[in-house]
Amino acid sequence: MRNDLELDAIIEDYLLGKLNPQETEAFETLRRNDASVDHKVVSHKFFLESMETFAAQSRLKDQLNSIHAEIDVETLASTLRPHPSKVIQLWRKHKSAIAVAASFLVLSLVSVYSIQHNTKQKEQLVLLSNQVNRAIKTQNSLIRKINNSATPAGKPVVQNSIGGTGFAISTNGYILTNYHIINGADSLYVQNSKGESFKVKATYTDPQNDIAILKISDKNFANLSSIPYTIKRNTSSIGEMVYTLGYPKDDAVLGEGYVSSKNGFVGDTTQYQVAIAVNPGNSGGPVLDNDGNLVGIISGKPDQTEGAAFAVKSKYILEAMRAIPQDSLGRNKLSANKKSGLSGLKRTKQIEKIQDYVFMIKAFN
Amino acid sequence: MNNSLKSSVPTDREVILGILNNSEDTLNKLYKAYYAMVLQFILNNNGDEDDAKDVYQEAIIVLYNKIKEGNFELSSKLKTYIYSVCRRIWLKKLSHNSKKAGNITDYEDVLIVEEDVEEHEQKDLQFVKMQSALDHLGEPCKTIIQDFYIHNLSMQDICEKFGYTNTDNAKTQKYKCLQRLKKIFFQP
Repeated sequence: MRNDLELDAIIEDYLLGKLNPQETEAFETLRRNDASVDHKVVSHKFFLESMETFAAQSRLKDQLNSIHAEIDVETLASTLRPHPSKVIQLWRKHKSAIAVAASFLVLSLVSVYSIQHNTKQKEQLVLLSNQVNRAIKTQNSLIRKINNSATPAGKPVVQNSIGGTGFAISTNGYILTNYHIINGADSLYVQNSKGESFKVKATYTDPQNDIAILKISDKNFANLSSIPYTIKRNTSSIGEMVYTLGYPKDDAVLGEGYVSSKNGFVGDTTQYQVAIAVNPGNSGGPVLDNDGNLVGIISGKPDQTEGAAFAVKSKYILEAMRAIPQDSLGRNKLSANKKSGLSGLKRTKQIEKIQDYVFMIKAFN
Repeated sequence: MNNSLKSSVPTDREVILGILNNSEDTLNKLYKAYYAMVLQFILNNNGDEDDAKDVYQEAIIVLYNKIKEGNFELSSKLKTYIYSVCRRIWLKKLSHNSKKAGNITDYEDVLIVEEDVEEHEQKDLQFVKMQSALDHLGEPCKTIIQDFYIHNLSMQDICEKFGYTNTDNAKTQKYKCLQRLKKIFFQP
């Protein structure tokens, strides 16, 4: 027993490196010669290692416990304990998810609202017919009576008149204008640039494309000379320079601009949008390009946008003309095949040439 | 309480450097930084404050040892690592006590930390073995051994503390105790 204890002491000192060199050597010889001593050394080494880790762990645990003692567990626990209310439990558990969902909801509400708001701003189409009140109308007719003896006297007293523009599509008195000008009219008159009025009748109407064809049925009307402009077959490109001649007042007014969009009101593919400042009375006016090709007919404008107008595309003019018996249009009719007589002319010359073919339309009802 | 805890959260780098340098202050800050998180998790998953303390301390020890071993790679936030370890340990305890563990309420992201926890459990077996051996040793042997090996007291201190007449007597007593302890420890 005594020897065992001494051996243990020596082994421990040996392992901890406390023996002096001679002792170490003596012990190592003993260890080599005696297997049981060697076994004891190995097991004690393992034990000491275990003890060391145990000691380290214990010290760490003590440290943690002392830190733990500083924390006010009770108060903390009471705030973190599962709340009796299911709602609050859910809230704690899904705090972040709820936050994300809520912000998403707000975002979508905002975007839906703004989309709706935008749609509300959609523009309204204002048809450019000119509602003339009775007083002005009477004055105008008085002037005309004085200036123009050819006008038949004793015209019926009418309540209202609507003014617009039209243009000749044949030399024998066919005039094309907007359907909305003549819609609902009892009697129709056209007035040329010289101030002469002729009675006309509507021979064809196309409410869909807002086109109407009128025929002068007045014995005072003398045939026109050949029509200077032609119809443009192709669609016009954006940016093409165009102009129109119309009657927003009693004299012809020139408006110049360019094709600004291939589609008209809310994407209407039957129309162009043109950047020409137009006014009530311009409706039905011809839109011509620099070479005197008929690009379209002014028909309306957006009520919120200044300086823009819509024009019915020229191919619908051709369609409308096909609806008229070809014989009655005569030989000198508007066509797409002939070369325009305006090509290469200055704008002033062009206007001079076409002003006889552009008429003021007066619809009485 | 909660706010003051949060305000002193150390950065992950600080923690690792602090532990490597045996900084008590860092350990203190680390412990206080994430205790509330684990307490909340345990309290909301069929545990009480004591469970939270045990699980949390175990997780801190896992992290501590891993850092000390020098092979700790920070691939996520420490917070996530600690939470994941605690979660794993608590799940094991729950299934061990055959308590309901089907519906765990999570508060944080979870990493896969099975290996680290397994490794820790292996080490912990040794720890438990030594602890129980010491417990079986009885007084005064237990205190002498603890004082010498754990609290690093010198034989002189132990001699005075226990009133031995000289250090040789104390030494003899210590080796007697050690012999018994080894016997218990190496018992299969």
